[in-house]
Order: sequence, then C-alpha cells, then structure tokens
Amino acid sequence: MTLAFRERARSAIADSQLQRLLDQNADARQRARIEALQELPDAAELRQRARTIRQQVVFGLEAYLEKFATRLAENGIQIQRAANAAAANRLILEIVRRHKAELVAKSKSMLTEEIGLNAALEAAGIRPVETDLGEYIVQLRAEKPSHILTPALHLSIEDVAETFRSRLGVTLGDDVEQINAEARGRLRKVFLSAPVGITGVNFGVAETGTLCLVTNEGNGRMVATLPPVHIAVMGIERLVPTLDDLAVMLRLLPRFATGQSISSYVSLIHSPRRPGDPEGPSERHLILVDNGRSGLADTAAAEALLCIRCGACLNACPIFREAGGHAYDSVYAGPIGAVLSPALFGIRKYGHLAQASTLCGACTEACPVGIDIPGLLLDVRAQSEPKPLGRGIRLFSWVARSPSRFRWAQRVAAVGGRLLSRRAGWITQLPGPLAEWTRFRDFPPFSGRPLRSRLRRVSRPASERHPEIEPVEAATTTVEVVEPEDRPASFEARLKDLGGEVIRCAEFEAADRIVGQLHVLGAGRLLSWGPVEPILFTVLQRLEREGFPVVLPEVAEGPLGTPALRSFGEAKVGLTGAVAALADTGTLVLSGGSRRSLLPSLLPETHLAVLRSKDVYPDLERWLQAVGPAYVAGTSNLVLISGPSRTADIEMTLTVGVHGPRQLIVFLIE
Amino acid sequence: MRVQLFATCLVDSLFPEVGEAVVEVLTRAGVETWFPPGQTCCGQPALNAGSRAEARALALQTLEALAAEDVVVVPSGSCAEMIRHRYPELLADLPDQLGRARRLAERTYEFSEFLVDQLLVAEFGASLPLLIGYHPSCHLLRGLGVDRQPLRLLEAIADASIERLSPECCGFGGIFSIEMPEISREMLERTLERIRSSGVEVVAGCDVSCLMQIEGGLRRAGSPVRCAHLAQLLVGRVAGLK
Repeated sequence: MTLAFRERARSAIADSQLQRLLDQNADARQRARIEALQELPDAAELRQRARTIRQQVVFGLEAYLEKFATRLAENGIQIQRAANAAAANRLILEIVRRHKAELVAKSKSMLTEEIGLNAALEAAGIRPVETDLGEYIVQLRAEKPSHILTPALHLSIEDVAETFRSRLGVTLGDDVEQINAEARGRLRKVFLSAPVGITGVNFGVAETGTLCLVTNEGNGRMVATLPPVHIAVMGIERLVPTLDDLAVMLRLLPRFATGQSISSYVSLIHSPRRPGDPEGPSERHLILVDNGRSGLADTAAAEALLCIRCGACLNACPIFREAGGHAYDSVYAGPIGAVLSPALFGIRKYGHLAQASTLCGACTEACPVGIDIPGLLLDVRAQSEPKPLGRGIRLFSWVARSPSRFRWAQRVAAVGGRLLSRRAGWITQLPGPLAEWTRFRDFPPFSGRPLRSRLRRVSRPASERHPEIEPVEAATTTVEVVEPEDRPASFEARLKDLGGEVIRCAEFEAADRIVGQLHVLGAGRLLSWGPVEPILFTVLQRLEREGFPVVLPEVAEGPLGTPALRSFGEAKVGLTGAVAALADTGTLVLSGGSRRSLLPSLLPETHLAVLRSKDVYPDLERWLQAVGPAYVAGTSNLVLISGPSRTADIEMTLTVGVHGPRQLIVFLIE
Repeated sequence: MRVQLFATCLVDSLFPEVGEAVVEVLTRAGVETWFPPGQTCCGQPALNAGSRAEARALALQTLEALAAEDVVVVPSGSCAEMIRHRYPELLADLPDQLGRARRLAERTYEFSEFLVDQLLVAEFGASLPLLIGYHPSCHLLRGLGVDRQPLRLLEAIADASIERLSPECCGFGGIFSIEMPEISREMLERTLERIRSSGVEVVAGCDVSCLMQIEGGLRRAGSPVRCAHLAQLLVGRVAGLK
C-alpha cells in the first residue's frame, strides 16, 4: 500500500507544472500566514485559547450537540443526525426529492466530498453544481479537489481555459478575469434557479444556535440565501460553545487559511426566512454528520477532531509540497489527511499515509489549534501492519536491546563497511533495501573504533573554568498594542487595504454624495434598503423625484420567485445601511430583516453602504459585548462584509467580484 | 559537575569523532563527562517505524543505563526530544517507570542547550575564518525550541560568519529516507540548493542524522562543502563529520 502513495508522489515529482503550482502555493500561503500572524499581538495566547475551546467541545461533545440542536429547533431550523455517509446522503436526498428539485446549488464543503454527496445526487438524477470557482473547475473536469481550501491548486490558468473550452464550449484567453466573468454569469443562473442550496458549516455555536459560514467569493451567501430551501451539512465536531469563542476562531481561521485578517463574508445564520424578512429560504435544514467521528472520542485520535480545516498544515508540509493532494487519494490530504483518513475511513486503506512524513513538525507549528500531528502519525504507524523495513528496524532494536549484541553488531558493520567503501571514504553503494539510500547520497562507513571503545570512563577537566556569558533570552517580539484612537480612520485604512472605498461626508451632504455617486456609476437600476433611516429616506425621496428606477426587495408572502430575483439581479448597484462596523478588520456588519434586505449587498456589482462613525467598534469581540448574544441569536441572517468578493482559486491570482460585488463603497458619516 | 554522555547510536557507531569533540568541549567547560556503558539506542527508530513494544523496551533500557542522578547531555536534538517528550508518553501506563522517565526528562539536555542555558558558556577559543551555515534541525527547533543556543555558540567562534539556513526539513526522517526516497531526494535537493545559493563553506548542525543526509548529498554532488556537528566546530575542526 505504501507503494500506492509512493507511485503517485513519483509521478507528481516528475510533473514540472504541478511542482511549480505546489511551490507557488506553499510559498505564497506560508508567507501570507506568517505576515498575518505578525499583526496579532497575542497570537500565542489566542492559539492556546482556541485549542482549549476546541478541546472543551470535543470532550463534552454530546452535551454541546444537545444544546445546539435545541436552539436550532427553537429557531425553526430542521435538524437531523446521520450516523454515516449513506444515512446523510439519504436524508439530504429525501429533502431534495420532496421539493422536486432537479438542480442543486452547492457551495464548497469538504464534508459533502467526504460523504460522496454529488455522486449520490447524480445517481438519483439530480444535478449538483459546485459554485466555488475552484470547485466548479474541478467538477467540470470530473476530478477531486487537491487541497481542502484551494480545490484547483493543481491546475494552471491554461488548464482552466482548456477546461472551459472542452467542457463548456467557450473560448477564453488564458486570463483569470475572463474566466471569472464567464463563471460568474453561468453560476448566477444556477443561484437564481436552483430550488435547493447545499452548504457546509465552518462553525456551529452551541449557545446561540448559530450556523457560521465563512467564504470569500460570496457563493456561500448566495446558496444559503437565494434558493427556497437551504440544507447545511456539518460534521458533529464543528462546534464552539459561545459567540465569544467563535470570535477567537474567526481571528485565527482566515489568517491560517489564506493570511487574510478576515474573509470577505462571514454569515451568522439563525433561522429560515421569518415573516417580514425580504429574503431567505423558507426551509432551513441542518444535517449533522458523524461518519466515524464519535468513535474517536475516547481515543488518542480525538485530538484530530480539534481540526478547523484551515489547510495551513498542507501549505506548510514539505511532503505535500512534493506529492500534491491527489497522491493521498483521500478527500483529506496532507498531514491532517494522513491522520483523519485512517481514523475516519479505515486504517487498512489509509494507514500507509502515515509513512509519508519525516515527523518534522512543520504541520503542528502551522496549526492554529496546535494539533500534535507527528504524535498522531506515530499512533497510526503503531496500529498499521509492519512493513519489510519496519521488520528491519525491529531486528535493529532487538540488537540494541543488549549492549554486548550492539557492540558485536558494530564490529560486523565496520567490517562490512570496509568491504563496501573502496577507499576509506563514504560508501556509494549499499546492498538490499539500503540501496535506496545510496541512489542519490553517500553513506558514512561504520567506525572500526566506536565511541564506546575510545572514551575513558571519566573525562576530567583541567582546572580552568570558562568565563560565564550573559544568559541568552529567547527573542521575544513585543508588538505594541495600540488602541486605535480614531476607529473610523482605522476602519477606513483597513477597508482600503481590502480594495474597498470610503467616502467621508457630513450628515447634511450625504444624500447628495450618494445620489451623485449613483449618477457617476451610471446605474440603470438601484436595489435598496427601505427608508429606515434619515439619509436613506432622503436619497430614496430624491431618486423618486428624479424618476430613477429603484427596487426595494420587500415581498410580503411566500418564497421569493425566480422572476423577482432575476429583476433584483439586474440592478447594477445596491444600497444599504449597516448595523455596525469593526475597525480592526475593515468590516461592515449587516443584519437582515424587514426593509433591510441583504440582497443589495450581494447581487449587484457595486455595493454602497451608509455607515455612521459612532457605529464603528474596535473589533468583533467588543461589538458582541455591546449588543450581547441574545441580539445576535435573534437575527435570522447576519453578515460581516470585509471588502469586495474575491477569489484566488486560479494560480493564487487574486481577482474581485467573482460572485458578490466587485466594488464596495462606504459613505462614512461623521 | 559531572554529566553522563548519552552519545546516541549514530554518534557511537558512525561518528565517534563527534562524540570525542563533545567530550572535549564539555571538558574545556569544566565538566566531568562519563559514558554509561549500558547505552545503545534511544528507541526512536522503533517508535517511528510503529514498533511501540521495541521502543518501550529500549526506553526502559535507556532509563536503566542513565539511572545515575547526573545530568544527561545528548549531542542530538532528535534523541533528546525522544527522551524528553516521548518517553513519558511511551511509559504513561507504567506508574513506577513513568516517574523515572519524567525525572530523566527533566535532567536531559541537548548539547548546545546545556552549554548555553545551564553552564552559561559559549567561548571555546576556536578560530575559523569561514562562512558557516547553520541548519536548524526539525526536532531541535520545533520539538525542543532550541535555536538561539547553537547560534550563540557559533557566533562566539572567532573570524567566522554565521548564516542561519531556512528551517526546512532536509528530508531524512529515519526510515522515510528509504521508504519514500523520491520525496526525500527532492527535499534534500532543496536543502542543497539553499546551501549552494548561500555560499556557505561548512554546514553546522546539532543532529548527525540530518547532517549525514546532507553531507551524503553534498558528497554525491561532488561539492567541497562538508557538514560538521557544532561540537566539532567549537574545537576548530571542519573536515566533515568524520
């Protein structure tokens, strides 16, 4: 079985394009992670907290699940638990069939890859469409993702253009923008017409019954908002106890995953569409998937359940960098994959993956929750069938268990070594399986006089004593924690870093500036919040006077029909207010509700938002403290927006506007 | 002060010159060194190969061999890490042995760590007008958190310039080097490339296992660059591991 991985790794090494892409991924992601961590003054403490939070959940899992399920049920989300992949697929299929859906919009979820959901849907005559750009490309090619975060990591821009040519019949240049635009157009139709949307869940919050979805492209928001039915699929271990705990995770996950201080969109979902909500699915389901997880609870492998699927260990691993994700032949590749795959899918099939490591520890160093991956790999090795080389090591160990046998073996080895090394130099050709060593490196000869026969029993020092040095302290990087005095200014700076724009204006001129901006954008139609606050009121009044077409997504009854959504989707510009903003990440907080549709922040190419400087909070933690968990739990859909929608799924090239807006302009009112 | 030298099986059998240099440095630092005769291998190869029973047997044997109360000095980050972190895990279910394992873990130091943190010495009077590359080995750096200590010792060598090489695995990994030779080779190639591009004249390290992989690769590539254990450099030797 070792051969299987080794063979695949061998062809990966021979593939120079794949090697270039793997190097590109490792270099870019590692650098980004390290830089993103440098801006966290308390990174070590946060990681320790995150680890404790995850341990709390994994060791008290059933109690947290019960609390979580109760909250979800109170909020009207239908929750079911599946013991294994087949059961999960059956439950999902039942819901899809009940709604007579022939098309399902999916946002990226490794768990649905794990349970083989797409194959199950296809077998039932249902067409699942992956909407994450990388996952869409991989699906078009009928391949599997090669990285849990960057599914199309193994493909070059030319490969992607060729895929669009051969699978979709469109000829595009080798240009990420063109590919992006083509995918956006095609997938928009899927979002607007699919009767069912399926997403994963990054974190569930037990205290509040929150489903937290973290995405960059905006497809996750689309899938969870536009189709009349939303099915979320979540591993049972992906919980955190409280919203404060979630805030800790949200500080770490994007930094470790992509080096972002926050992802473009973080959705906190609490219920299906409620009376008065302008949008949202009329049914929300959560399928909790066990699939072997609860069986790990009392084993050492429970440590692997702490994983939050950031992919940092894959990016840090020197073996992954050579072999690539497909060599692992499992949905979970890389170091954590070599632990999770045997634990969840069987040691017979996947135990050999644990050999694919030098135990160098780069994975643990890169892990936000400090999972002892080398230790877990040793456990897997201990449970696997011994390999021929393992038997050799056993023989060596037997020899070493007696100092006299060991001494005798040293003599034999020294004689053997002298025969093998022609001159007194290093050996260039070893026999048997050891020949693998000398294929590309020399081996040192065994010494005729080992150390044990050279040393006197006790080596005594002369009387001289060396001068003492000053103790060398560990290099500690002290980052000064500067409390941003001017929160609006730091919000503005951060949002600009993310590619957003900020226009500062006074209350009295705000409406003028916004209307002016609409004319500059040449917007044919505006999708907007209702007149829920004075500036929006004035803007809407002026637009009405001018005869400027405005659409207010406000549907009293029943699900949003496709025609309504299509007309919303034709709007070029969206206008919203904001509940709050977060200075440290340049984030807008929007909460859905009557006359406060989330669609203007999602569907149009440009999103304009009105924000008052008094609503800018230092960070997520302090905003949560100010409003309290009950407020958050009471919203049906709350979203944190940080810059325009973005993706780097093709060759790490960053582009904006893949599904959500490509432009975000905030009018910051003093 | 008296210390026990746990030489490691590789130093004992393949690189006794490294062991002699270690003893020489410790002697110059005013420490009495003795070689407990019951020692062989710490058991790490067995643990890494998945043979827990053998690893435990060797851990118990090492515990016995190093039973004297003297501090233990190990010229290997990897073997020191095994004793410090993995012995207590391996022997967790043997209550009477666990206490001994923990006490051994507490009094076991990697060579450079012992000199700098315990003895507070760094100057040994060597003078080497060379560009020395320091290879941070994985278990030393990530397992024990030892990095500034060997650098401090190297910086005290007169006339030498020190460059810390990027802390990426050299691709040795014990049986990995034989089981996954293609990947091991690529990782070694990257390491050799880093050495070439940095222009270092000798590669220093604290783990002969990694240095054996690197020097094996350097020799095969016909490079004049050699590896040396830190102790060898501290006593002014640069001719290679042996």
